[in-house]
Amino acid sequence: MASSSSLLPSVARGILSSCRPALRPGSMAPFLSGFQQVRPASQARGKKDSTAKKGKKGPREFKQGNLKDLEQFALCDAMRYLRAFEVGREPTVSKYEVHIRMKTRRDGPVIRNMLRFPHSVQTESRICVVCPPGTRIEKEARAAGAVLVGEQEVFDAVKAGKIEFDRCICHPDSLDALNKAGLGRVLGPRGLMPSLKTGTVVEDVASRVEMLRGGTIYRERDAVIRVPIGQLAFSPEQLRDNLRATIDQIKKDAAGLNDRITKEVYEVVLSSTNGPGFSLNGEFKSDNSPDIAVLQGV
Amino acid sequence: MVNFFKRMRKLKTILNIRIGPGAAILPTAASATKEFPAITRFHLTYASKIYGGHQGARHFWRNCLPRLKYHNPSIPITVRQTTDQEGPAALTVYFSEQPSNAASLLAAKITDKHAPKPSSTEQSVILDVKNLEYKDIWKKVQNITGAQEVAATAEELNQLAKLEEMSQRAVKDRERNAAIRQAKADHARMLAEAKGEVEKLKQI
Repeated sequence: MASSSSLLPSVARGILSSCRPALRPGSMAPFLSGFQQVRPASQARGKKDSTAKKGKKGPREFKQGNLKDLEQFALCDAMRYLRAFEVGREPTVSKYEVHIRMKTRRDGPVIRNMLRFPHSVQTESRICVVCPPGTRIEKEARAAGAVLVGEQEVFDAVKAGKIEFDRCICHPDSLDALNKAGLGRVLGPRGLMPSLKTGTVVEDVASRVEMLRGGTIYRERDAVIRVPIGQLAFSPEQLRDNLRATIDQIKKDAAGLNDRITKEVYEVVLSSTNGPGFSLNGEFKSDNSPDIAVLQGV
Repeated sequence: MVNFFKRMRKLKTILNIRIGPGAAILPTAASATKEFPAITRFHLTYASKIYGGHQGARHFWRNCLPRLKYHNPSIPITVRQTTDQEGPAALTVYFSEQPSNAASLLAAKITDKHAPKPSSTEQSVILDVKNLEYKDIWKKVQNITGAQEVAATAEELNQLAKLEEMSQRAVKDRERNAAIRQAKADHARMLAEAKGEVEKLKQI
């Protein structure tokens, strides 16, 4: 006992020695109160804070930094840097992405929508359509650009392990056949199984195929919307058009939410698959940015 | 989104892309001389693992090529990573019209099947970069292309020194913080032990 207590800090030792003669349970109450008194002040303060915080929920709005602290870039300058960071990468894999920071409350609705770019971002989105073969629907789907169309041939290909598409939609007429084929086990984990809930079982297959080919889904998470907006080979004008389309649509979304909720775009950051984020200052090019013609291609 | 200061700190990596080995301006059609004709593009091929002398080539891609691309945005640079460790680690330089004298002297007699074919107005020279360090590769490239190095400005050097100072301070701060955390943990452990003894005494 003596040896172990000599290791204790003086405060604790004091307590021990004070309670040593009084070992009956009844004497514990004064001991505890004494113990609380000798605790370091910082701990006591910490406890008080935590109890006070329980009622409060924290700030209502997301914290916004001061944009004056930030180094901002013109679009062409940011592109020049990002292209340097992406050098030697597969040009179809590397993408420009944009992070749009909103000024918004922590609670309330979030923006969630789909967007069609003036210049398609995906190099190729291969789409499979399950529909009765030999009908008008099949023709339309093929015309809209679906890669794999049909019923039995699709099922056979999937069962053989050949899944050569990124999206799968189904016509309601073929839904029973699809469910009978038992592809859920294969397609389900990949998120490719058409179902009514995800909106991939539709009457108007052709227009949905069109939409999926050029459309990108985006949503706001923690006040930031992140979307890929261009291939690395894009020219600055193409990227600018896509960026404009994105911001315009997001502004429209924000305006259409609710009268009482104000959401506005606070900051736009351009980044790429392997590069850092460059906050944009809204200008297209600056005095020392290179010729526009060189900022495209590989 | 990450806070501004962290992001700005991270963005200082762009300083690294402006200066360092590889930060040089290559002769273009406008600035070409008889000795050093214009460079039209580059292609690098190397294997994915470093054994067999492919390390330098990969480091060259990581370190020098971004800087080269930043200072010469108009020059296409392609990189091909193969899985063939026995295969070549080769840098193909494409000259317009004809290669420089230094290039034809240094040209290796290997073939790189991944390199794109030179067009009718181009001539390519293949450098064997196996078993070379990336700085040596860069020196070779400089010699054959006549690239003009971009010197760091005083401001950039200043910033670089500041960053260096910050990273040194970070080491010290990490140590200090670790010591504080350790002391706290020790304190808590000792309190717990002391409490345990009280409990034991209660049970007697």
